[in-house]
Amino acid sequence: MVGGATTKELIVNGKRLDGRALDELRPIKIEASVLNKADGSAYVEWGKNKVIAGVFGPRECFPRRDVNPYRATLRCRYRMSPFATSDHGRSGPNRRSTELSKVIREAFEGVVLREQFPKTAIDVTVEVLQADGGTRCASLVAVSTALADAGIPMKDLVSAVAVGKINGKLALDLTGVEDNFGDSDIPVAITGRNKEIVLFQMDGVLLPEQISQALKMASAANEHIHALQVDALKLVYESKQAQGGARTGAASEED
Amino acid sequence: MAGKLVVPGEIIAEGSKGGVNAYSEDGKIRSEVIGIVDEQKGRVIPLNGQYIPTAGDWVIGVVQDVKYAGCGVEIKSAYRAFILNKMTRIEFKMGDVVGATIERVDEARNIDLAEPRRLVGGEILVISAVKVPRVIGRANSMINMLITETGSEILVGRNGRIWIKGGKSALAVRAILTIEREAHTQGLTDRITELLKTG
Repeated sequence: MVGGATTKELIVNGKRLDGRALDELRPIKIEASVLNKADGSAYVEWGKNKVIAGVFGPRECFPRRDVNPYRATLRCRYRMSPFATSDHGRSGPNRRSTELSKVIREAFEGVVLREQFPKTAIDVTVEVLQADGGTRCASLVAVSTALADAGIPMKDLVSAVAVGKINGKLALDLTGVEDNFGDSDIPVAITGRNKEIVLFQMDGVLLPEQISQALKMASAANEHIHALQVDALKLVYESKQAQGGARTGAASEED
Repeated sequence: MAGKLVVPGEIIAEGSKGGVNAYSEDGKIRSEVIGIVDEQKGRVIPLNGQYIPTAGDWVIGVVQDVKYAGCGVEIKSAYRAFILNKMTRIEFKMGDVVGATIERVDEARNIDLAEPRRLVGGEILVISAVKVPRVIGRANSMINMLITETGSEILVGRNGRIWIKGGKSALAVRAILTIEREAHTQGLTDRITELLKTG
């Protein structure tokens, strides 16, 4: 509720409604390479959120008006399934999905090394299968993992988490209920190596010092999420390695 | 030989000179892709990714459009290649499978092919382009073994398309798919030798 008073008791005895502490994340599970037809893919389960991301490309860019002669065109489509929330949604693009497609695309435009593939397109699709607050952060984590899985050159992995204010206190990783009845919500996406902010949105009301405090909380949580992404990516090839002998210099035997 | 598995952004060394699939920032070299570090050459060998056309590569393509000056060829890449009619006496038609060498790639990624030949009959196997060096092997050892053991004609395009004709082609397909699946493992040659002997 933007700017409105809290109408629901969200913190009981210092714990939140789902029993978490204020600076505790929901359980997160990340799996890479889940789709066969996509060049890269990832599946993220984040509390009750379920998000799947697929990446295609770099491939020939159609329509031709989208071609950029200097770098690859990044195209992103975020879609929330009609059955993702408790009330059945309408299918088709809407204001929300258009916005999220845009912010996810812009978060990765500075991270993917698009100059290496002029005139091409990289297509990213995100499907939200089940939603419970924080799907844009879950989507960013899934897309980042899927892009890396596709072998697309990028400077870094991106991880994301939301920090909000519920009952006047800052809390990490808001659920759907906390988001609806809370005072404020800030999704933050940062890069792993130098903590560069690639997405920062905010609704509600916060004091300037609360924002810097929220950023500190997000930064600490993102380190944990980044580690999960790295594990998910490495697991794909380490499990293949277990099937057939020790790992070696991959495709380098030519020379 | 066994290198470290790295993901994008992971530090692979100190220094200021990035190698293939690695970039340098603030005195540290980081990986751009998920791959295996080759410390001797300061590069990262990718485990996945699209084919990037490079001059000198021999590739297999399909003729997609025929124009007055030549024909456009699809080479399993984001970029379309072109065969100039003055380069060849063969008249290509739509749908022809051609093998050719990439003569030149310019800054706009226009690709010219040279020495094209039509590939007639046989079958085309498609694998990931990053796995092709493993199919060829050190000094062509793997591909020579496949050819002698199966008796097939095998032509390997750098873009991940492999043309197989005659001989025990089913065995060749099975062996190549095994190589693709286990490309990043050690002792692969021994297992392929075994497969070809028993299969």
